[in-house]
Amino acid sequence: MSLPKVDDIHTNSELISEVFNQLLDSIIVDVASECHRITKLGLDRNLDEEEEELRLFAEARARSSDPSHSGESNSKYVVDMFGQTHPPIASEIFNCMNCGRSIMAGRFAPHLEKCMGKGRKARQKSTRAAQNQNSKGSTVSNRLSNGGSANAGHEYSNGTYEEA
Amino acid sequence: MKASIKRPPSPDAEIDRNREPTTVQATVNMKLIESEEKERLKELLREKLVECGWRDEMKSVCREIARKNGRKNVTVDELVDAITPKGRASVPDSVKADMLHRIRSIVGSTSL
Repeated sequence: MSLPKVDDIHTNSELISEVFNQLLDSIIVDVASECHRITKLGLDRNLDEEEEELRLFAEARARSSDPSHSGESNSKYVVDMFGQTHPPIASEIFNCMNCGRSIMAGRFAPHLEKCMGKGRKARQKSTRAAQNQNSKGSTVSNRLSNGGSANAGHEYSNGTYEEA
Repeated sequence: MKASIKRPPSPDAEIDRNREPTTVQATVNMKLIESEEKERLKELLREKLVECGWRDEMKSVCREIARKNGRKNVTVDELVDAITPKGRASVPDSVKADMLHRIRSIVGSTSL
Protein backbone atom coordinates (compact mmCIF):
# COMPACT_ATOMS: atom_id res chain seq x y z
CA MET A 1 0.00 0.00 0.00
CA SER A 2 2.89 2.40 -0.58
CA LEU A 3 2.07 5.57 -2.48
CA PRO A 4 4.25 7.07 -5.23
CA LYS A 5 6.46 9.97 -4.22
CA VAL A 6 4.52 12.79 -5.89
CA ASP A 7 1.41 11.70 -4.11
CA ASP A 8 3.34 11.60 -0.85
CA ILE A 9 4.05 15.31 -0.98
CA HIS A 10 0.49 15.98 -1.94
CA THR A 11 -0.77 13.80 0.83
CA ASN A 12 1.66 15.39 3.28
CA SER A 13 -0.04 18.76 3.13
CA GLU A 14 -3.41 17.12 3.33
CA LEU A 15 -2.20 15.10 6.29
CA ILE A 16 -1.12 18.19 8.12
CA SER A 17 -4.35 20.00 7.36
CA GLU A 18 -6.28 16.98 8.44
CA VAL A 19 -4.48 16.88 11.78
CA PHE A 20 -5.27 20.52 12.28
CA ASN A 21 -8.91 20.00 11.41
CA GLN A 22 -9.18 17.14 13.85
CA LEU A 23 -7.72 19.26 16.63
CA LEU A 24 -10.08 22.09 15.76
CA ASP A 25 -13.12 19.82 15.61
CA SER A 26 -12.30 18.38 18.97
CA ILE A 27 -12.04 21.85 20.47
CA ILE A 28 -15.29 22.88 18.78
CA VAL A 29 -17.09 19.94 20.35
CA ASP A 30 -15.65 20.90 23.73
CA VAL A 31 -16.89 24.47 23.44
CA ALA A 32 -20.32 23.33 22.22
CA SER A 33 -20.70 20.83 25.04
CA GLU A 34 -19.65 23.41 27.60
CA CYS A 35 -22.14 25.94 26.27
CA HIS A 36 -24.82 23.27 26.24
CA ARG A 37 -24.11 22.53 29.88
CA ILE A 38 -24.20 26.20 30.83
CA THR A 39 -27.48 26.67 29.02
CA LYS A 40 -29.13 23.64 30.58
CA LEU A 41 -28.01 24.55 34.07
CA GLY A 42 -29.14 28.11 33.58
CA LEU A 43 -25.73 29.46 34.59
CA ASP A 44 -25.89 32.04 31.84
CA ARG A 45 -28.97 33.66 33.27
CA ASN A 46 -26.94 36.45 34.86
CA LEU A 47 -25.04 37.06 31.65
CA ASP A 48 -28.24 37.45 29.69
CA GLU A 49 -29.66 39.91 32.15
CA GLU A 50 -26.49 41.97 32.20
CA GLU A 51 -26.40 42.13 28.43
CA GLU A 52 -30.06 43.17 28.36
CA GLU A 53 -29.41 45.93 30.86
CA LEU A 54 -26.42 47.23 28.96
CA ARG A 55 -28.42 47.28 25.76
CA LEU A 56 -31.41 49.02 27.31
CA PHE A 57 -29.13 51.57 28.88
CA ALA A 58 -27.44 52.32 25.58
CA GLU A 59 -30.85 52.58 23.90
CA ALA A 60 -32.11 54.96 26.57
CA ARG A 61 -29.14 57.21 26.04
CA ALA A 62 -29.56 57.19 22.30
CA ARG A 63 -33.27 57.90 22.55
CA SER A 64 -32.92 60.76 24.98
CA SER A 65 -30.20 62.40 22.95
CA ASP A 66 -32.37 62.76 19.85
CA PRO A 67 -35.19 65.03 20.97
CA SER A 68 -33.09 67.28 23.24
CA HIS A 69 -30.59 69.90 22.02
CA SER A 70 -27.33 68.44 20.89
CA GLY A 71 -25.16 71.06 22.63
CA GLU A 72 -24.85 69.47 26.05
CA SER A 73 -23.52 66.02 26.71
CA ASN A 74 -26.13 63.28 26.91
CA SER A 75 -25.53 62.19 30.45
CA LYS A 76 -27.13 65.30 31.90
CA TYR A 77 -30.57 64.55 30.42
CA VAL A 78 -30.83 60.83 30.96
CA VAL A 79 -33.44 59.58 33.42
CA ASP A 80 -31.91 57.89 36.41
CA MET A 81 -33.19 54.71 38.06
CA PHE A 82 -35.74 56.54 40.18
CA GLY A 83 -37.21 58.19 37.14
CA GLN A 84 -35.81 61.63 37.89
CA THR A 85 -34.03 63.94 35.52
CA HIS A 86 -31.50 66.42 36.76
CA PRO A 87 -30.79 69.82 35.19
CA PRO A 88 -27.21 70.33 34.03
CA ILE A 89 -26.58 73.08 36.60
CA ALA A 90 -27.43 72.29 40.22
CA SER A 91 -29.96 74.84 41.36
CA GLU A 92 -30.21 74.32 45.11
CA ILE A 93 -29.53 77.48 47.14
CA PHE A 94 -27.64 77.66 50.42
CA ASN A 95 -25.47 80.07 52.41
CA CYS A 96 -21.73 80.35 51.83
CA MET A 97 -19.85 79.53 55.02
CA ASN A 98 -17.19 82.09 54.26
CA CYS A 99 -19.06 85.25 53.44
CA GLY A 100 -22.61 84.25 54.45
CA ARG A 101 -24.27 85.11 51.15
CA SER A 102 -26.92 82.90 49.62
CA ILE A 103 -25.38 81.05 46.68
CA MET A 104 -26.67 78.67 44.03
CA ALA A 105 -24.98 75.28 44.30
CA GLY A 106 -23.98 75.18 40.64
CA ARG A 107 -22.22 78.52 40.99
CA PHE A 108 -20.55 77.73 44.30
CA ALA A 109 -17.09 76.95 42.97
CA PRO A 110 -16.54 80.21 41.08
CA HIS A 111 -18.07 82.03 44.03
CA LEU A 112 -15.57 80.41 46.37
CA GLU A 113 -12.61 81.43 44.28
CA LYS A 114 -13.72 85.04 44.42
CA CYS A 115 -14.74 84.76 48.02
CA MET A 116 -11.62 82.96 49.26
CA GLY A 117 -8.82 84.30 47.21
CA LYS A 118 -8.60 84.49 43.47
CA GLY A 119 -10.19 87.89 43.14
CA ARG A 120 -8.16 91.00 43.91
CA LYS A 121 -10.47 92.42 46.54
CA ALA A 122 -10.66 89.22 48.59
CA ARG A 123 -6.90 88.84 48.34
CA GLN A 124 -6.20 92.21 49.84
CA LYS A 125 -8.56 91.59 52.72
CA SER A 126 -8.00 88.29 54.47
CA THR A 127 -5.60 86.21 52.45
CA ARG A 128 -2.61 88.34 53.26
CA ALA A 129 -3.08 87.14 56.78
CA ALA A 130 -3.45 83.55 55.56
CA GLN A 131 -0.28 83.92 53.47
CA ASN A 132 1.71 85.06 56.45
CA GLN A 133 0.54 82.03 58.36
CA ASN A 134 1.36 79.52 55.60
CA SER A 135 4.86 80.75 55.03
CA LYS A 136 6.21 77.38 53.93
CA GLY A 137 5.21 78.02 50.34
CA SER A 138 2.39 75.52 50.15
CA THR A 139 0.20 75.30 47.08
CA VAL A 140 -2.54 77.20 48.87
CA SER A 141 -0.44 80.31 49.11
CA ASN A 142 0.76 79.87 45.55
CA ARG A 143 -2.77 79.76 44.36
CA LEU A 144 -3.69 82.79 46.39
CA SER A 145 -0.79 84.79 45.04
CA ASN A 146 -1.98 84.07 41.55
CA GLY A 147 -4.78 86.55 41.93
CA GLY A 148 -3.22 89.01 39.53
CA SER A 149 -2.93 86.73 36.53
CA ALA A 150 -6.02 86.16 34.51
CA ASN A 151 -5.09 82.68 33.36
CA ALA A 152 -5.08 80.80 36.63
CA GLY A 153 -7.78 78.51 35.39
CA HIS A 154 -10.65 78.06 33.00
CA GLU A 155 -14.21 78.49 34.02
CA TYR A 156 -16.80 76.41 32.22
CA SER A 157 -20.34 77.52 31.72
CA ASN A 158 -21.77 74.61 33.67
CA GLY A 159 -20.31 75.82 36.88
CA THR A 160 -17.26 73.59 37.28
CA TYR A 161 -13.92 75.17 37.74
CA GLU A 162 -10.78 73.61 36.45
CA GLU A 163 -7.26 74.70 37.24
CA ALA A 164 -5.07 74.98 34.15
CA MET B 1 -28.19 2.53 25.90
CA LYS B 2 -27.20 -0.72 24.24
CA ALA B 3 -26.00 1.08 21.15
CA SER B 4 -23.26 2.83 23.08
CA ILE B 5 -21.62 -0.50 23.93
CA LYS B 6 -21.30 -1.31 20.28
CA ARG B 7 -19.61 1.95 19.37
CA PRO B 8 -16.24 1.29 17.65
CA PRO B 9 -13.41 2.47 19.89
CA SER B 10 -10.59 2.85 17.36
CA PRO B 11 -9.77 6.25 15.89
CA ASP B 12 -9.60 4.69 12.44
CA ALA B 13 -13.37 4.53 12.29
CA GLU B 14 -13.60 8.31 12.65
CA ILE B 15 -11.30 8.87 9.72
CA ASP B 16 -13.28 6.40 7.62
CA ARG B 17 -16.40 8.41 8.24
CA ASN B 18 -14.92 11.75 7.31
CA ARG B 19 -12.57 11.35 4.40
CA GLU B 20 -10.87 8.88 2.09
CA PRO B 21 -9.11 6.46 4.42
CA THR B 22 -5.33 6.32 4.03
CA THR B 23 -3.08 4.09 6.06
CA VAL B 24 -0.55 6.92 6.14
CA GLN B 25 -3.11 9.13 7.87
CA ALA B 26 -3.83 6.50 10.45
CA THR B 27 -0.14 5.92 11.05
CA VAL B 28 0.52 9.59 11.54
CA ASN B 29 -2.37 9.82 13.91
CA MET B 30 -1.22 6.87 15.98
CA LYS B 31 2.30 8.23 16.15
CA LEU B 32 1.05 11.58 17.32
CA ILE B 33 -1.21 10.13 19.93
CA GLU B 34 1.44 7.80 21.25
CA SER B 35 4.02 10.50 21.62
CA GLU B 36 1.45 12.75 23.35
CA GLU B 37 2.25 15.42 20.82
CA LYS B 38 -1.34 15.47 19.72
CA GLU B 39 -2.53 16.31 23.21
CA ARG B 40 0.09 19.02 23.49
CA LEU B 41 -0.87 20.49 20.15
CA LYS B 42 -4.51 20.47 21.10
CA GLU B 43 -3.82 22.31 24.33
CA LEU B 44 -1.70 24.85 22.50
CA LEU B 45 -4.39 25.44 19.93
CA ARG B 46 -6.99 25.79 22.65
CA GLU B 47 -4.90 28.44 24.39
CA LYS B 48 -4.40 30.39 21.20
CA LEU B 49 -8.08 30.34 20.40
CA VAL B 50 -8.95 31.62 23.85
CA GLU B 51 -6.44 34.44 23.57
CA CYS B 52 -7.67 35.70 20.26
CA GLY B 53 -11.30 35.71 21.36
CA TRP B 54 -12.43 32.92 19.10
CA ARG B 55 -13.82 30.93 21.99
CA ASP B 56 -15.88 33.87 23.25
CA GLU B 57 -17.28 34.38 19.77
CA MET B 58 -18.36 30.75 19.59
CA LYS B 59 -19.90 30.96 23.04
CA SER B 60 -21.95 33.99 22.11
CA VAL B 61 -23.15 32.17 18.97
CA CYS B 62 -24.25 29.29 21.20
CA ARG B 63 -26.09 31.68 23.48
CA GLU B 64 -27.86 33.21 20.52
CA ILE B 65 -29.04 29.80 19.37
CA ALA B 66 -30.17 28.93 22.87
CA ARG B 67 -32.10 32.18 23.00
CA LYS B 68 -33.75 31.64 19.62
CA ASN B 69 -34.68 27.99 19.89
CA GLY B 70 -35.51 28.07 23.57
CA ARG B 71 -33.34 26.88 26.38
CA LYS B 72 -35.00 23.50 26.77
CA ASN B 73 -34.69 22.44 23.14
CA VAL B 74 -30.97 22.91 22.67
CA THR B 75 -28.92 19.82 21.94
CA VAL B 76 -25.17 19.38 21.75
CA ASP B 77 -25.47 18.19 18.16
CA GLU B 78 -27.35 21.33 17.22
CA LEU B 79 -24.65 23.51 18.69
CA VAL B 80 -21.86 21.51 17.11
CA ASP B 81 -23.54 21.71 13.72
CA ALA B 82 -23.99 25.42 14.07
CA ILE B 83 -20.51 26.18 15.29
CA THR B 84 -18.41 23.92 13.09
CA PRO B 85 -18.58 25.90 9.85
CA LYS B 86 -18.29 29.25 11.60
CA GLY B 87 -15.54 27.96 13.83
CA ARG B 88 -13.46 26.62 11.01
CA ALA B 89 -13.83 29.80 9.04
CA SER B 90 -13.08 32.23 11.82
CA VAL B 91 -9.78 30.85 13.07
CA PRO B 92 -7.27 33.68 12.63
CA ASP B 93 -4.81 33.10 9.83
CA SER B 94 -1.82 33.60 12.09
CA VAL B 95 -3.02 30.94 14.50
CA LYS B 96 -3.72 28.49 11.71
CA ALA B 97 -0.39 29.13 10.04
CA ASP B 98 1.50 28.67 13.26
CA MET B 99 -0.27 25.42 14.07
CA LEU B 100 0.29 24.02 10.60
CA HIS B 101 3.93 24.91 10.87
CA ARG B 102 4.28 23.12 14.18
CA ILE B 103 2.41 20.07 12.97
CA ARG B 104 4.57 19.92 9.89
CA SER B 105 7.77 19.95 11.91
CA ILE B 106 6.46 17.27 14.26
CA VAL B 107 5.10 15.04 11.51
CA GLY B 108 8.28 15.51 9.52
CA SER B 109 10.42 14.21 12.35
CA THR B 110 8.39 11.04 12.82
CA SER B 111 9.15 8.29 10.40
CA LEU B 112 6.29 7.42 8.09
